[in-house]
Amino acid sequence: MLVGNSSPDAASRAAIRLLMDWLPGSSVVEGSADLDLSSRADQPQLISADIVEGRTLRAIKVPGATRTMVSEFGAFLDGIQRVRVIGRRFGVPLVLGTTGAAVRVRVNRRLVTWGHHAPKLEQKLYLPFRYLPTLAETLRAGSPGKYDRFQVVDTSLPDASGAYPSEHPTVLLERAIRAVDRERDGLEDGLAEAWCAVGGAPLFIDGGITRSERIASSENAIGVIKSHFTLYVEGEALKTVIGLAKGERSSVFQVTPKSRTAVMSWYLRLRDPEGHDALWGLVRIEMSKRENPTESADEISRWVLLETSPLALPDGRWDKMSYGIRDVEEFLRAIS
Amino acid sequence: MSEALGRVVATERKPNTPHEFHFWTAIDSPVGIGTIVRVDGANPMDGQIPHIYGIIVEGFSYTDLQSPMHDVLGHDGLPTTAGYAATERAEIRLYTAAVLRQIPEEPLQPVPMGQVFLAEEADVQVALRMDSYLREGANTGIPIGVYRAGGTEAVIYLDADFLLGPEAAHLNITGVSGLATKTSAVEWLLASLFKHFPEDKGSIAAVCFNVKGPDLCYLDQPGKVEKSDEALYEKLDVEPKPFQRVEYFAPYTAKGLTLNTFRNNEALLDNVTPLTWGLREVLQFAEVLLNRDDIDAKADALIDFIVQNVVDKEFTDPLLSKTHRVQSFADLDAWFRDVLQGMEKKDGESWRTHHVATIRKVRNRLSNISTRCAGLVTDAGTVSDLPFGSFEDRTVYVVDVANLEEDAQDLIFARIVSKLREHLERRDLGVKHLVVFVDELNKYAPGDGADTYVRKMLLDIAERGRYLGLVLFSAQQFRSQVHRRVVGNSGTSLFGRMDPDELSTPGYAVLSPATRTKLATLEKGQLMIRHPHFTQPIFVRFPRPAVMQGREGSERYPQASEVSLDAAILRALRPLDPTITLPWVQDITALYTQEEVIRARNATLLARPDNVKAYFAAQFRKIIPAQAAPRPMAGSIKSAPENDPYGF
Repeated sequence: MLVGNSSPDAASRAAIRLLMDWLPGSSVVEGSADLDLSSRADQPQLISADIVEGRTLRAIKVPGATRTMVSEFGAFLDGIQRVRVIGRRFGVPLVLGTTGAAVRVRVNRRLVTWGHHAPKLEQKLYLPFRYLPTLAETLRAGSPGKYDRFQVVDTSLPDASGAYPSEHPTVLLERAIRAVDRERDGLEDGLAEAWCAVGGAPLFIDGGITRSERIASSENAIGVIKSHFTLYVEGEALKTVIGLAKGERSSVFQVTPKSRTAVMSWYLRLRDPEGHDALWGLVRIEMSKRENPTESADEISRWVLLETSPLALPDGRWDKMSYGIRDVEEFLRAIS
Repeated sequence: MSEALGRVVATERKPNTPHEFHFWTAIDSPVGIGTIVRVDGANPMDGQIPHIYGIIVEGFSYTDLQSPMHDVLGHDGLPTTAGYAATERAEIRLYTAAVLRQIPEEPLQPVPMGQVFLAEEADVQVALRMDSYLREGANTGIPIGVYRAGGTEAVIYLDADFLLGPEAAHLNITGVSGLATKTSAVEWLLASLFKHFPEDKGSIAAVCFNVKGPDLCYLDQPGKVEKSDEALYEKLDVEPKPFQRVEYFAPYTAKGLTLNTFRNNEALLDNVTPLTWGLREVLQFAEVLLNRDDIDAKADALIDFIVQNVVDKEFTDPLLSKTHRVQSFADLDAWFRDVLQGMEKKDGESWRTHHVATIRKVRNRLSNISTRCAGLVTDAGTVSDLPFGSFEDRTVYVVDVANLEEDAQDLIFARIVSKLREHLERRDLGVKHLVVFVDELNKYAPGDGADTYVRKMLLDIAERGRYLGLVLFSAQQFRSQVHRRVVGNSGTSLFGRMDPDELSTPGYAVLSPATRTKLATLEKGQLMIRHPHFTQPIFVRFPRPAVMQGREGSERYPQASEVSLDAAILRALRPLDPTITLPWVQDITALYTQEEVIRARNATLLARPDNVKAYFAAQFRKIIPAQAAPRPMAGSIKSAPENDPYGF
């Protein structure tokens, strides 16, 4: 997930003009920048998981991992999202969200955009209709054609329990961010499902694969998770994972998120953590459930290790990031 | 229309301007330094889609790598493992192009964003403004070579009006020695000129001074033409044949027996004419041979006096013992001797205001000329010269001065160019346009050093020649060391492979580093061209001349060595009359001195009579062969008496 901080661009200016038309009296947020979504208040947590490879979670040296091997990953999938508060009406944040996703296919060791499905890129306004009473009326009357490029998403709908969000600006902003998240997830899932439907070489997906049943059950989709807000180990297993050396993986376990599809997963240390923090170079890999998880985990681990070259520098997450994913992000940054 | 091969890009740090733009291409795009491209603008201007033509002058390649250290870390410091990386880094080919032309030309704006296409043949014509002189009915294009890039092959034409005048004129070529680029390029260009110079512009000929080696000595002999060159000749519409009409001129060696040229093999002598001058021809250019110290005002005055009053005139003076008619160096020396003897008798210090020391000095210097230029200057005054006044269309006249001393070279150059100029001024040379090719301009027109007569002549041609139809094609190794006004007046400049030291001089600062690098590594047969119509230098390939190269020629037709007098006469006269034999020559010349025999040969070669034998024999004074005196009748010896006791 890419977080940008570019200055106001043509899209932002167009969106501001639109909001000024729709919501006279709104204030423009001068010099608004993209929000740093990593500061969200997700609480890190430890969750135990069912071991499916052996009885206890242990460190396993990935066998046969040499530089002369060939990675079978045929393509890389990643998405971007940018959230920018471009104005406010009284305390209500007026948010412009940009989302995108793309698959970059490896041809002769160079990455090109997947021709089967074009990259997705969308810009939408995320507004709480409930607290902008005149807006719904205006939209019903029809928006001027020149602003058709912007769809509007209502961020004040009631949740599953039927509760509406409060008018607290932070809550409304959080709602908007979640909506942008979902938008990006949708774009990514759409492309991943299309890849799985076509078949072919495995797809390296930046992030988990559990959101979609079709993806989670496909042998062509491999998720590689760099962030570890949730660690699927506790106690001794945690120590084992933290103690993984470069080129070692954990035993395979099963991840079963709520309302999502269960998949098999394991941790893999990509780089020597000596002198770095505990999670340096540590990724978690997800694959569909399969009969012989050991063989698959070894093979996929070898591929992921191979993808650490070339380095993803200058990206700050280069210890966990593959170059292919960096390429997708650069591509999306260039077109968005 | 071909597919786009690139896209124009511009950033705040690297913006486009009206004269330069940037674009990127695919990694395997067939473009490089010197490639001509076309940009199609996206937005119409006055209802016209802008087209911008440019030539690539610089190229950049880089990846998304921020620091070389990242690559080292990424491969654990082992270069051998780099090849195993699953993915190649994203890489860019970014080019900078100099604008050749914008259409529409007004208003002149920065190059817009747009797609970039490889220029096709028609684009190249427009880009280089060749469309203005390749019009039907007014075509003044002279093919100089073929531009090649990415499958495009386009003939590049020079504008005859800007090559031979009157708009601009002259051509200068620079390149390192030893690659035969300079001479080959001139030979090729002359062939192209002779084929394509428009008929309505009049006749054209060339005078080439062969100043070194045998390169220009076999222009009428066929050379090897490779298959690839045949294709170039066809594309350039020139027949791969040697020059049809070539005349060679060379002085004799100091001994006067053989011609002092690489082309003195008997098999090639039919179009080689001796170059010999007498007193009259030389005295006019005495300044060339006399250094500054020699020609002070007094000496100059005496030389003028001699030219005005003595040479070719009946000259009498009370001081002199007889009437003199000075027509040769020998006559002049006799005249000097008489003057000095007369002064000695009178014990006078001056004669006709000329001091005896000045007279002695001028005598010494002038008499010395025939020694210093032996073989060219004859004591006897025999003149064999270029056919001034009857030059022929599409003919090359080669003057071989390669083996001569510097003085003789200077004299030949100065006199021939002066005569050419005189005749062109009078419009009676025989041709309307004349190309003069001079190599080694570093020597003849250096940027620094003494202001020699030859340099002044070259400057004069460069600055005023085009009004007369006298065009200088010059060549040198180091353009930076040639007089600025000579190269500066050259409308067209060609560059072969260049010496890196030369390229580092300020004169080449206008070229991009990449263009300079390309110049330093040009292959044989490649040139960079600057021409008044081209706003940027263009790279072309030209075919190897279809004439025998110097090395091959000197192997096939070895230079004749010095031979006996009889053999030299036979060799000289036999082309005029094949029935002449060595015994005949020996029989005719047996009674005469070497000078007399050589004088007779020179006169015969000059006259080229129908009856060579008779003409040659008539040149000798009558000498009645000495006959053995009749043996006197022996008187009868008295017979001894029979009884003579002492008789035997």
